[in-house]
Amino acid sequence: MSSALYAVMRKEFRQMTRDKRMMALLILAPTLQLFVLGFAANYDVDRIETATCDSDRTAASRALRQGLLADGTFIDVGPARDCRRPGDDIRDGRAKVVLVIPDGYARDLASGRTADVQVLVDGTNPVIGRYASSAASTYLNLVSARRQLPSLAAMSAAAGAEIRVPTISVAPRVLYNPAMRSAIFMVPGVSAMVLLIVTTIATAMGLAREREMGTLEQVMVTPISRSELLLGKVMPFVIVGLFDVLLALVVGTWVFHVPVRGSLAVLGLGTCLYLLSTVGVGLLISTVSRTQQQAIMGGFFVMMPAILLSGVMTPIENMPGWLQPVTWLNPVRFFVEILRGVLLKGAGVVDLWIPFVALAAFGPAVVALAVGRFRKRLA
Amino acid sequence: MSDLITVSRLCRSFGSFQAVKDVSFKVGRGEIFGYLGANGAGKSTTIRMLCGLLQPTSGSAVVAGADVARDPEGVKRRIGYMSQKFSLYPDLTVFENLDFFGGAYGLSGRALRSRIDEVLDELGLRDRSRSLTSSLPGGARQRVALANALLHNPDVLFLDEPTAGVDPASRRDFIALVRRRVAQGTTAFLTTHYMDEAEYCDRVGLMVAGCLKVLDTPSALKANHVPGALFEVRTARRGDVTAALNAIQGLATIQRIGAGLRVRYDPSPGRDRVAESALAADPDAVVEAAEASLDDVFRAVVDQEAQ
Repeated sequence: MSSALYAVMRKEFRQMTRDKRMMALLILAPTLQLFVLGFAANYDVDRIETATCDSDRTAASRALRQGLLADGTFIDVGPARDCRRPGDDIRDGRAKVVLVIPDGYARDLASGRTADVQVLVDGTNPVIGRYASSAASTYLNLVSARRQLPSLAAMSAAAGAEIRVPTISVAPRVLYNPAMRSAIFMVPGVSAMVLLIVTTIATAMGLAREREMGTLEQVMVTPISRSELLLGKVMPFVIVGLFDVLLALVVGTWVFHVPVRGSLAVLGLGTCLYLLSTVGVGLLISTVSRTQQQAIMGGFFVMMPAILLSGVMTPIENMPGWLQPVTWLNPVRFFVEILRGVLLKGAGVVDLWIPFVALAAFGPAVVALAVGRFRKRLA
Repeated sequence: MSDLITVSRLCRSFGSFQAVKDVSFKVGRGEIFGYLGANGAGKSTTIRMLCGLLQPTSGSAVVAGADVARDPEGVKRRIGYMSQKFSLYPDLTVFENLDFFGGAYGLSGRALRSRIDEVLDELGLRDRSRSLTSSLPGGARQRVALANALLHNPDVLFLDEPTAGVDPASRRDFIALVRRRVAQGTTAFLTTHYMDEAEYCDRVGLMVAGCLKVLDTPSALKANHVPGALFEVRTARRGDVTAALNAIQGLATIQRIGAGLRVRYDPSPGRDRVAESALAADPDAVVEAAEASLDDVFRAVVDQEAQ
């Protein structure tokens, strides 16, 4: 290692460790964020407030309502306030679902007619809406099918022969995340996001800070090479980033029970390549910013789309066709693929060759671009 | 090669503004060269070009054998630079600052350690080496900046207003340190707007609005560039005396100084004539002939430029 590169790293580490607040931001903040966001970024629907409008008031209608509330996902908030306008309870947020059982429900069932039941669902949040309507339909279809069984039995008895009804038995086996807990899926994504924010902003501000303080001029008058200076400035943040990933793994496995099925070495390699990309982006922002404010603004300008187009929050497959190719320029996307692949599926470098190659190309390219842009001259 | 700095027809523009216009001079080995001028006269722009920090718009400059336009990194290896804002890291100690900049100059290991010890001793900073530079008083901080510039034993030392905002005693100490270095063979190029500092220079160049107007030793400048005669008038009644002196033919400049007024006449009306007028306005006035200072040179040159 060249003595100048080593000197820059030494200096950056000294400044970093001396600044207690900076250390807190670099180490404590990401871990804390992962802890909180891991709980927050949760698509598991487990509480659907449900109001009932039972105009039938029979044993059958009460049984129907009890059955819907039985598994604990639909939470009873009591009867709807006004059965003439059952939607009111959804509009003011008291309920996400209103079960409307009209007068005559039990009578229709007893006489073998089709009984009408209405389920109103709040669709403002499509995730909750879709889950609620599908869960309610599944339950009501089941009740309906059970109702048909005695009739079938009676029909067989009358016909004097057994009537066979063909059915399909489905046993879906869910791999990698059998309980389908969203935390297991989200925590790796959130780690990638938190790491991006910390390393990009910290490096983006680095050069801008020295430019503002006037120390950059003093550095530029030394014969240090551009790559020694810039690599020396970002290497410490790569090391801090690796440490952050380690902490994220600890929090992920202990708090959120994220499995570690693949090799940590593969994960380490992927993390190094990813960090080179994020600090490279920070560095590039730093070379075009005159002040720290510009660097921060530039950082957010880049990070927002990088997070939203990464597949952390929403699947890339759901994005329109013209937008999907844009994600190929996004290192976050590839790191999330590596994290989820290694942690959840136990995938290796060969399985994940595409994201590995992409990161291995992106990181050095963006660092080279930053070095190329940086001038050891004023004005 | 005895000229360590050779500047010929050097120009630098920022947009339509010409900061440095057609400047030429040479600085020999072991010389202290002073660059004098008001703020914005082009001093810093010149020094930044000579350090390889700014590309000249036209003209050439060769510093310690390296061309500033074609080989700025070669220049940087051979020079030390200290700028008006002490560009040290305030959150690092004196030792850590030197350790970093020494490394940036390619020094490492034991060689770096021993060089740091040497400059700390040379500049009397040994007991400060563990202090944060932000906690040091101005004079000490400035010596650290000088230590920084000397770590790699440069051939030429560039000092851009090194003593701006420092008390006069520290300023004298600082100049003494620079002179000691120069006595050992280093060449120093220094910009300043303190005339007392310029007095210590072997030669002084005077910048006015981007042009190098005059260049000579301080004594030659004083002898040749202050036309007419200078007088100092001690008086408590400045207003009346000023009016009286104004009435004499040939008044070039008049300025207030501590105990009265300093006036220059060109041509000189003679001491008796000045004394007569002054005494008429204030019977207690005392008139004495005065020696030219670099300040007078500066005023005279600027006045000439204005006409």
